Amino acid sequence: MNDFNAARDIPILLGAFFVLTAAIGLVRFPDLYSRLHASSKLITLGSAGIFIGVGLEFAQTEALSRLAAVLLFQFLTTPLSAYLIAQAAYLRGLEPLLEGPDEWNALGKAALLDRRPEELKEEEGEGQMEQPSPQGKG
Amino acid sequence: MRGISLNILLAIVWTLFVGEFSLRELVIGMLLGFAILSVFPLSLGTGGYVRRTLAAVRFALFFARELTAANVQVALWALRPHPPLHPMIIAYPLRLSGDNAQTVLAATITLMPGSVAMGFNPERNVLYAHVIGARSPRAARESLEKVENALLPLYGQSASQTDPVETSA
Repeated sequence: MNDFNAARDIPILLGAFFVLTAAIGLVRFPDLYSRLHASSKLITLGSAGIFIGVGLEFAQTEALSRLAAVLLFQFLTTPLSAYLIAQAAYLRGLEPLLEGPDEWNALGKAALLDRRPEELKEEEGEGQMEQPSPQGKG
Repeated sequence: MRGISLNILLAIVWTLFVGEFSLRELVIGMLLGFAILSVFPLSLGTGGYVRRTLAAVRFALFFARELTAANVQVALWALRPHPPLHPMIIAYPLRLSGDNAQTVLAATITLMPGSVAMGFNPERNVLYAHVIGARSPRAARESLEKVENALLPLYGQSASQTDPVETSA
C-alpha cells in the first residue's frame, strides 16, 4: 500500500490542496461575502478531486456511480447554500466591505426582497399599514 | 421529452441485445441510441433533443474549464499576502427566462470566477451577485455574460431578447 499511484494520488492531493486553500481563504478573506467565494468554489473542486481519486482507487461501476451522484448533489447544493447565506446576511443588514458599487442597495430593492412583513414594518416605522401579518402573535 | 424517452428505450433495447443489464451496458446503449437519434433527427423528430444534448455537453466542458480556472484563481488569492480583491455587488439583467434556467445560471456563477449569486429580483429580472477580483462592474458583468451565453442554447433560447434594465438605464 506504500506505492505511489499517480492516477489515484494526484487528484486526491490536488483536492486536498484546494480544501486547504479553502480553509485558509475562509480565515483570511475580509468579510462573510468574500469568504463565501472561498468556501463555495474551492470546496467543490477540492471534494471533486478527492472523489475522482477515490473512484479511480476502487475502479468499479458501483463506486463510480455513487461518487458521481454525490458529486452531482455537491454541485447542486453548495451554490444554493452560498446563495441563501449571502442573501440572508445581506437582508439582515450585515454590511459588506466593498471597494466597488453596491448596485443592489443602489437600486433600492433590498427591502422589497425581504419576505418578512413584520420586520419591514419595524424598519420603516408606521408607514406601512396594508401589510397584516399572516399569523397572529402567539 | 420524446427525444429522451426514445434514447432510454434504445438503451434498454441494447441491454436486451447484449443480454446483460448493467450500468455499463446502459451507458453504452445511451450513447449508441444518441448516435442513432442524431443520424435520423428528422424522421424521429428528435432534432431539438440532439441539439440540446450537444449544448449540454459543450456547457459541461465550459463549466469544467471555468471551475478549474476559478479555483486556481481563488486559491492564489487565499495564499497571496495582499490579494487584489475588489468586492462589489453588481446587478445583472438576465436574458435567460424561466425558473429552471435562472436557477442553473445562479448556481453556475457561484461556482465560477469571482462571483457569488446573492439575490434575485423577479420583477426586474435582475440577478444580484457579489463579485471579487473584477476590475470594474462592467468587467464583472461581461464574465457573467459569458456564462449566460453558454447556457442560452441549452434552453433553446436566443440572445436577441432585450434587457429591461439596459434599455431603461
